[in-house]
Amino acid sequence: MKTLAALLLMTSAASAGMPGVPNEARAKINWQLGCQGCHLADATGSANGAPSMAGDVARFLSVEGGREYLTRVPGVTNAAVSSDQLAELLNWTLATFDSDHLPADFTPFTGEEMAAGRAHPLVGEAPTVRAALRKKFPAEKSAAGGGK
Amino acid sequence: MKDLDKLSEGMVRRLARMNSRRGVLATIGGLITGGAMFPVLPVARASGPATGSGYDGVTPQSTGNPMDPGDPASCDYWRYCGIDGFLCSCCGGGTNSCPPGTEMSPITWIGTCLNPADNVNYIISYNDCCGKPACGRCLCNRNEGERPMFRPQLNNDINWCLGTASAAYTCSTAVIIGVALKEGQG
Repeated sequence: MKTLAALLLMTSAASAGMPGVPNEARAKINWQLGCQGCHLADATGSANGAPSMAGDVARFLSVEGGREYLTRVPGVTNAAVSSDQLAELLNWTLATFDSDHLPADFTPFTGEEMAAGRAHPLVGEAPTVRAALRKKFPAEKSAAGGGK
Repeated sequence: MKDLDKLSEGMVRRLARMNSRRGVLATIGGLITGGAMFPVLPVARASGPATGSGYDGVTPQSTGNPMDPGDPASCDYWRYCGIDGFLCSCCGGGTNSCPPGTEMSPITWIGTCLNPADNVNYIISYNDCCGKPACGRCLCNRNEGERPMFRPQLNNDINWCLGTASAAYTCSTAVIIGVALKEGQG
C-alpha cells in the first residue's frame, strides 16, 4: 500500500497537474468506473451509443451554451459521484482526451457549477442540443473527432 | 457327484495347462497398477465429481499466479464478484479472452472486486463475448455492487453485446483494467 501511495505521488508530480484536477488517480478511477464502459477507454464512443469525445470534447467550450451543455448532459448528471468529484472528472476528461482544444484561459469547472447543471439535466433532447452546438463549432483544417 | 468332480477337475487342469502362474500374477499386478493410475488420467478427472466449488463436469482451473488465487472456472473466483452470466472459462475462453468464433464487446459494465491475495480492490471490466448462442455452462450470478436499471452503467441485466457485429450473448469475461483506491485515499 505504501508503494502504491508513493507511485501515485510520483505520477501526479510527473504530470505537473491538470487544471481543476486535485487527484488525477481518483479522476481516472471515476472515469473507468462510470464512463469508460460506454465511452471506451480512449473516449472514442460507439455507433448508436455513447458519443465520441476524443479530440473534440473541449470544442464545446468555444461555443455559446457549450460549457453549460457539458454540465447538463445525461452521462454527467447521472454520474454516481459527488459534484466536487464530478467537476474533477470533467476537468480530467477535457485535459486527457482533448487537451488540444482546451482554451489557454480555461476556467476549471467547480462543484457548484456541476451541481447547478445537475439540477437541470438534459434527457431526450441531449442529442439535438449536441448536434446544434456542434454545428456552431469554428471550422478546422482537419476534421478531428467523429462528427455526430 | 462323480461326474461333477470329474468335470471340475478337467476344467481346472485345462486352465492350469493353458495359463502360467506367473502370467496370472503379472495380469493381477497390471490390473492393480492400472487401476491406481486410472484416476490420474485427465478423462477421469473431467468426469469425476466436482471438487471444491466448481461445477459438475468442469475441470478446476488455476491462474498459476499466487496473487490471482482461486479457480477461474468456479463462481467463487474473486474477479466474478459482480458477474451475471456464463463464465467464458467454461466455454472455451478464459477470464480475459473469448471463445473462438465470438467477438468481445468493447462496451462493458465495470465494477470493483476485492482480491483476497493482497486485499486490494481491482477495477474489473465484464466484457461480454458475443456472436454465438449462449454457452449455457457455468451460470454465475453474484451481482455484488450491481445497481438497478436506472444506473445503466452499473447494471448487468442489460445485454452488453453492444458495438459488436452480433448482439447474441455467448458468455462473460472479467478483465482487470486497473486498481481502485479506497474512499479518501491517495
